[in-house]
Amino acid sequence: MPPLSAPSRREALGLLSAGIASGLGACAKPSEELVPYVVQPELLLPGVPARYATALSLGGWARGVHAIAVDGRPIKIEGNPLHPASLGATDVFAEAAILDLYDPDRARTVTERVSGIASWDMVERALAAPLAQTRREKGKGFRLLTGHVTSPTLLRQIAALLQAMPEAIWHVHEPLDDAAALRGAELAFGRPLRPLPDPGRAEMILCVGADPLGPGPDQIRFGRAFIDRRRDPARFGRLYVAETALTQTGIKADARCALHPADAAGLLAALANALGAALPAPDLPPEAARFAAAAAADLRGAEGRALVLVGDALPPELHALGHWINGRLKAPVTYTAPLDLAGDRAPADLATLAADLDSGAVSCLAILGCNPVQTAPADLAFAERIGRAGFSVHAGLHGDETAGATHWHLPLAHALESWSDLRARDGTASLVQPLVRPLYGGRSDHEILSLLAGEPATAGYDLVRATWHDQGGGDFEGWWRKALHDGVIPDSAAKPVEPGAARLPSLPKPPDPGFAVELRADPCLYDGRYANNAWLQECPKPVSKQVWGNALAVSHAEAARRGLEAGDVVVLGLGGRQIEALVAVESGVADGAGALTLGYGRPRAGAIGNGIGADGYRLATVAAPRLLPGVSLDRTGRQGEVLRTQNYTQIEGETKKLFRQIVLADLPQAKPKGIGADRPTLLDPWTGDADGHAWAMVIDTQACIGCNACVVACQSENNVPIVGPEEIARGRMMHWLRVDLYDSGTPEAVNAGFQPVPCMHCEHAPCEPVCPVAASVHDGEGLNLQVYNRCVGTRFCEANCPYKVRRFNFFGYADGQPYATMGAESIKAQHNPNVTVRARGVMEKCTYCIQRIANERQASERDGRPMGAVATACQSACPTRAITFGDLAQPDDPIRALRQDPRHYALMEELNTRPRTTYLADLHAPNPDLGGRT
Amino acid sequence: MSGGGQAHRWIAPAQLSHGAISAAIADPIQKRGPGKLWFYALLATLPFVLVTLGAIGAVLTVGIGLSGVNTTVVWGFSIANYVWWIGIGNAGTLISSMLLLTRQRWRASINRFAEAMTLFAAGIAGIFPIIHLGRPLYAYWLAPYPNTMDLWPQWRSALVWDFWAILSYILFSALFWFTGLLPDLATMRDRATTRRGQLIYGALALGWRNSARHWQVYETYHKTMAALAVPLVCSVHSIVGLDFAASLMPGWQESIFPPYFVVGAMYSGFAMVVVIAIFVRWGLRLQSVITPAHFDVMGKVMLFASVVMTLSYATEWFMAWYGGEHPDRDVVRYFFEGDYRWFYYALIACNCVVPQALWFPFARRNLWVLAGISVVINIGMWLERILIVWNTLSHGHAMSLWRTYHTSLYDLAILFGPLGLFVLGFLVLVRIFPIVSMHEVRQISHDEGAAA
Repeated sequence: MPPLSAPSRREALGLLSAGIASGLGACAKPSEELVPYVVQPELLLPGVPARYATALSLGGWARGVHAIAVDGRPIKIEGNPLHPASLGATDVFAEAAILDLYDPDRARTVTERVSGIASWDMVERALAAPLAQTRREKGKGFRLLTGHVTSPTLLRQIAALLQAMPEAIWHVHEPLDDAAALRGAELAFGRPLRPLPDPGRAEMILCVGADPLGPGPDQIRFGRAFIDRRRDPARFGRLYVAETALTQTGIKADARCALHPADAAGLLAALANALGAALPAPDLPPEAARFAAAAAADLRGAEGRALVLVGDALPPELHALGHWINGRLKAPVTYTAPLDLAGDRAPADLATLAADLDSGAVSCLAILGCNPVQTAPADLAFAERIGRAGFSVHAGLHGDETAGATHWHLPLAHALESWSDLRARDGTASLVQPLVRPLYGGRSDHEILSLLAGEPATAGYDLVRATWHDQGGGDFEGWWRKALHDGVIPDSAAKPVEPGAARLPSLPKPPDPGFAVELRADPCLYDGRYANNAWLQECPKPVSKQVWGNALAVSHAEAARRGLEAGDVVVLGLGGRQIEALVAVESGVADGAGALTLGYGRPRAGAIGNGIGADGYRLATVAAPRLLPGVSLDRTGRQGEVLRTQNYTQIEGETKKLFRQIVLADLPQAKPKGIGADRPTLLDPWTGDADGHAWAMVIDTQACIGCNACVVACQSENNVPIVGPEEIARGRMMHWLRVDLYDSGTPEAVNAGFQPVPCMHCEHAPCEPVCPVAASVHDGEGLNLQVYNRCVGTRFCEANCPYKVRRFNFFGYADGQPYATMGAESIKAQHNPNVTVRARGVMEKCTYCIQRIANERQASERDGRPMGAVATACQSACPTRAITFGDLAQPDDPIRALRQDPRHYALMEELNTRPRTTYLADLHAPNPDLGGRT
Repeated sequence: MSGGGQAHRWIAPAQLSHGAISAAIADPIQKRGPGKLWFYALLATLPFVLVTLGAIGAVLTVGIGLSGVNTTVVWGFSIANYVWWIGIGNAGTLISSMLLLTRQRWRASINRFAEAMTLFAAGIAGIFPIIHLGRPLYAYWLAPYPNTMDLWPQWRSALVWDFWAILSYILFSALFWFTGLLPDLATMRDRATTRRGQLIYGALALGWRNSARHWQVYETYHKTMAALAVPLVCSVHSIVGLDFAASLMPGWQESIFPPYFVVGAMYSGFAMVVVIAIFVRWGLRLQSVITPAHFDVMGKVMLFASVVMTLSYATEWFMAWYGGEHPDRDVVRYFFEGDYRWFYYALIACNCVVPQALWFPFARRNLWVLAGISVVINIGMWLERILIVWNTLSHGHAMSLWRTYHTSLYDLAILFGPLGLFVLGFLVLVRIFPIVSMHEVRQISHDEGAAA
């Protein structure tokens, strides 16, 4: 017992004064003003994520998304199920947009070329005189250059601007657009029409140079419809792909032909002739001719259910021929009139602008949200030409290459910071709403355009509302709220038009048959606009698995003929311009051709993206923007390194074991393979705990199109750090989920497929018994957990993991030793507060998004109901719904049926690890006439 | 094989008196100064010691990423060095205990520094598992210390067994070495001419008075400890073998690993003893007590170990083929055709081919040749350890993540640096303690009937 007697008077006084002194020390006021919530804002519960429907653009087209914010911080992008271009899924670009928002390299202030940092007031004053002059002259000499625009508000503003200044001209430059398809439609139908193919109804599809499952604004919609149809074996159909180098679409093909781009015209002509066109008989290589004959037979036999897709890189005449063939095949394609016009004025192109700049006709040039200095064809020499404008201003997210060439640069607000609206490929409009105030003081393109138009400063919010003010039939506010809430504007899709019969175009003269290089959209950087996004730089490309750079893909035969080896530095030359590129020797590339993705080699992308890879734009010309004929290729004798996360795809004896492939004809005989639970073992069988959940995942490799949305979604959800190119070169990486590529074919005849590999959550997990400190443990719901706090970093778990899915923090990638700017304060704001940021020296891995399971458990306990479905981040991102997550303990959970599917198998079930993540085999329907895939 | 029957085999006839023996061993420490050579040697070790300390400091501050380990090959030089050093450390106790129990009298002249070698090697080996960790400051979590969260180590992990094996081995080696030193410390105390020497050696001698009772207790104790040491020697390296064998990786999951590791340890340990014996004999002029006969016997032991190792490799190849499992066969194919094939061929040359020279008595008796072979064996055994790590991890079950190790500067620092630390230990030791067991050599000389 302590003494009960009171302290003496002196002791009491002493304690009192000591207490006052220590209390005063703690009461120092913070220097900043703190404002507490007096009234808690509605819908903003501390720590509870709020979802906002909005839309993100890719090449101007909308993909509807839900942006998730916690305590006012946007942390994650998910798909909007109501949106036709998202269907609840995302792509890599949408997932990574959240990192772009926090990019510390974003433009933070208005800058002037000579005097540097300026302010919005200064730019308004500086603009006043030249704009007033221009307006007096009815816009003579005023030029507006934008990227592809679908935003109804922006189009309305441009139309108003052009009306006020009739002599002003609006130009559009979008490096990866569908202009060739539109021009083709113009040739075929006499007017520009935008085709929207429906792979859900087309069982026989032929892609000539087209990669509809590859990166682009239509990837999600196309992939979903294509794969959903293929889930029904009766409507599996056949996908024919003829392409220069292997793409995601090529990997999913049932019959594939590596086609020199010069032969594309011949292939289409052969097909057209088989359908009754009397074109001159093309001169095709025998293999391509056989391919064309087989494809023609299949397509002809499936009239009304057959479709031909022509690549955007091919010339308009071939698109016109494609439209003609689709007409003959009664292909499920709907045509819509272009919605991306300002009033009735179509934009002019970049070449016209360049010519006008030359002639000194441009006195005032405003570039809004595009980067022509980087992405314009090199023969336009746009950087120098901009200098000929009397006054130039550029608005962009980054102080990029174009910002360096103009007089003024204005910081643009990110899509998650601004009000706007966008249309999807089918014309459906969505409202874009901000989640945060502009972090770096940017303004939206609407606000900047209104500034250019000399209007009084108007908020983007008001501008967007003004566009839609006549909607809602009297109840505009109700309509507005619903449109914001849903993320789509009802009945805004474009009405299909009847194109009429297509004319057979005259085919262009075949291009120079020399070494051709195809410039492609990069599956990670698209056209280069995402070059400063570290998630995307470190995202392995679907086919090459290359990260942090691009390389010229050439075939094995071509490499052997030219004495090239992977990693050689070569000089590509065309028309006096040269670039240096690394060589990658890949399977499935046409001889005499190569492929290079765009978006690399940027000098002013930012700390992440500067100077990485080769810049294909430097070889592009107005005449040949994407298909470069007659490129010279010379060795420099130097060596570089193609950084890859997967070094082997074709190993005899391994590929077939790890990646189950079934031919459609054999499907009825296929039997499901279990997880090896019938094998003898010394270990006790897994038994769950009392609350009775048994989480499991089934991944359908047939449905996987390798798009990497899951990889980036996992990174975003789970605070997975970036390691940087130096670490990748040392063989280190952090992705919890990887998409493996397996190819059981040959370098000439690819037979490949994708296999996403997260943690297997083995019931008899090899990682658990080897951990000396019990940091790797199993829980009662079948999850294999990693206790970060307990991990000492022996790495025995990863050494013993046959699937190699564990990831080790060799350095503090997220903990004091970040790559480049990835440790910036702003980046930290992106982190998911429900997921620990791992320390140096700690092992980590896929948790089946345990935080999402926990959220659902808490919600169900709060509401007194059984737990509902849980969607992991990878699952909710997947455009083709290849990933299913569920509870084996629930009798009605669909995952139980999937485990009984004839295509079911477990990875390395012979090791008796009893994995919880299992797979459905890849499925193909090869054409017996062509041999090829087996 | 006993020295008893053959007079004067284990000791040179010139210096057979007890006094002469003690003088030969103790005088370099107590009477003669260290000499220039010793200083030069000390100076030569310093860069290595600094490199070691620098490397350890760097890895503790910057992180294990300094090593060449990567996502696939998560283990590397640290593990190979650990196994190699603990292997070196095995021979000392083996010589002391197993040879004591089997009455191999010749061991007397070499067991002291062999034991010291054990102590240093095991101590250096003990560094590696700690600096190999991602979070070395929590290495103590492998110990079952009382904590508020009731957390225990995970007893099924071979690493926990290893923790105990190496801990008990180091403690045991230190104890065995020190108690074996007691009679000699008393001799040093008695021969000391300075007050300081008398005090220090006197304190360390723990009151040894050379009484019959002391000797009786000592002999019993020493034999008991030796008997305990034999299973410990076997267990420590068996358990190191289990670090690999208790897994499901091809090339590791082999029941041959424990015995194969023990023999491998003996092999490299003896090779290291030979190298050190040659240096000690020359440096301290101990030709009289470390005779060619010693080297001959050690040569035969190495030859035997070489044959066993060759058989073990052959068993590994045969079982991979005979077992018929694809991953096992494939990893063996990878030994010969894979990324590290030249290292593998070098390993076979070092461990299997070159030591066959020891069939010839000339090779066993010519110290130059023997030293060369011993060094080659030690290189070969290091290659074996690194290849066990590299081959299996680089070429595991998941083909998509096959990749090779990226050797870094740090790796080279922790490979070569500790050799200097090891030599430094010896240099200090030979200036403080008798490097050859005086009382046991005296015993031999007595047994051989040479002592006056």
